[in-house]
Amino acid sequence: MSFIEVKNLCKEYRIVRQEKGVAGAFKSLFHREYTVKEAVRNVSFSLEKGEVVGYIGPNGAGKSTTIKMLSGVLLPTGGVARVGGIIPYENRKENARRIGVVFGQRSQLYWDLPVSDTFDLYESLYSIPKERFRKNCDFFTELLDMKDFLHQPVRQLSLGQKMKANIAIALLHDPEVLYLDEPTIGLDVTSKKVLRDALKNINAERKTTIILTTHDMDDIEAVCQRLIMIDQGQKLFDGTLEDFRARYNDGFLVKLEFDGDIPVWQENGNYGLLEQDGHHWIIKARAEITAKEAMLDLIGKYDPTNLYVQEERIEDIVRRAYALDETV
Amino acid sequence: MTKYWIVFKKSLKSELAYRSAALWGILSAALGFLIQVFLWQALLGSGVRKDTSFPDMLLYVLINSFMLQLTRTDVAGIIENAMIDGTISMELLRPISYKGYMLAQTLGKNVYGSLTATLPVLGLSLFFLSGAVLPDGVHILLFLLSALLGIALMFEVTYLAGLLAFWLQRCWFIWFYLRGIRDIFGGTFVPIWFYPEFLEKLSYWLPFRYMTFEPINIFLMKTPASQAWVSLLAAFLWLAGLSFADQMVWRAATRKLTVNGG
Repeated sequence: MSFIEVKNLCKEYRIVRQEKGVAGAFKSLFHREYTVKEAVRNVSFSLEKGEVVGYIGPNGAGKSTTIKMLSGVLLPTGGVARVGGIIPYENRKENARRIGVVFGQRSQLYWDLPVSDTFDLYESLYSIPKERFRKNCDFFTELLDMKDFLHQPVRQLSLGQKMKANIAIALLHDPEVLYLDEPTIGLDVTSKKVLRDALKNINAERKTTIILTTHDMDDIEAVCQRLIMIDQGQKLFDGTLEDFRARYNDGFLVKLEFDGDIPVWQENGNYGLLEQDGHHWIIKARAEITAKEAMLDLIGKYDPTNLYVQEERIEDIVRRAYALDETV
Repeated sequence: MTKYWIVFKKSLKSELAYRSAALWGILSAALGFLIQVFLWQALLGSGVRKDTSFPDMLLYVLINSFMLQLTRTDVAGIIENAMIDGTISMELLRPISYKGYMLAQTLGKNVYGSLTATLPVLGLSLFFLSGAVLPDGVHILLFLLSALLGIALMFEVTYLAGLLAFWLQRCWFIWFYLRGIRDIFGGTFVPIWFYPEFLEKLSYWLPFRYMTFEPINIFLMKTPASQAWVSLLAAFLWLAGLSFADQMVWRAATRKLTVNGG
């Protein structure tokens, strides 16, 4: 049996239909109409120990809801989830001891106290042995570069500092699984890099299973081996990053630079001209031809000064995948 | 147990971060106390009504306000806010019972306030307290026990009301009414011994009189030690019954829980 098993998981919400205006508000005091929203529909997947999975989807796709069911906060309305052999929402406390969770938009820190106080709280909450607690504190303080602000009240910290502290806290008790819900939201480039490196390090050294939801595809490329994509509550893709590219990729980009006048573009079924200005073209090549063919062909035809081949960015692929899904 | 102790300590420490709030708390507590002192002085004069002397009344006000301070921050409000802004999902991630966590947190929040607010009031009251009869050891022990039950009972009732937020989203009005009912049937403003008979009889059927009124009666030795068990047992039964009820409600509440957006 896999470490995490999710089978036909469903979550429905009842939403009150708000009518417009004050009159509508009054009306809804006496008579309410509900619509049922299926936040998660029949989602199934399984994860082995030590896997790092990117869980992606547009806003409102049901990512956070899935994570909340896996962490025992929400009860599913159908299906079942098992984490390390136990059902999280039936054994909330036992499950909580074995997982670490970071919700990027919420903080677990005491607002008025220094980060170190929340560390103490977690030491007791999870009954972490003294020696291990000390070692972990040192390890994460070092890894996430937290020395400078460990003893400052949380209300005086920056967003990035708080996020680092939240991640450290989620890991103090050596959880077997780490759920990260948009951990890089609002962070600057440097902080994102520190975080991604830390996650890779944690996964490599401690074999921590990680599920990461994010809107930043660079996060995925940096740390995940596998990708699960959902939209409108349903799973659309589950596989490696390469498979994802292969499935949704329909080519690659070629950039041509010219010193003098740019030549005249000749329409061709294998290429599409995406962008052009006085000095360069960006061309999209179809997946059916190889990069080598394209390079030889384009150099022969247009004689550019420089030529670059670029893999299509995951972000663009994802955007197309979401769009495809809309039209289905 | 250490888990709850640390939640209590950290919550207390958080409270210490705001010193000016404590100072203003002291002032308002002192003023409130003085108002009650002068009110009862005027009402009772130097005489004794219904077995109640002015020093008795002073002790009544003193203990009452201390115990109310201890449960001042209402759990109902905290649960309501946690429901509205979704922090409830963070709290449920911790390997700790939600009720125990809430109890430790509210006590931590309130202890500092009640100590800082009550100590000066205690000092003030020394000017008025001459002639008060202080209880013997047995009564003090019984009082402490019954005060503990009373505080637990106050927490329990508020907690139960707070859980309604899972259904109603907003539940402040429930606690608002509940507090009114507590003030009437719990004798938190006017001791129940001044009440008309039917109100007094009614109060036996509700949990509120066991919160502060009965403990104070023991302290003032109006309830003799040999009869204290009646109110202790009643408080205990209420507590057990309500605890059972809140477990049922909690089970239903977690089914009902929805947390959207992140």
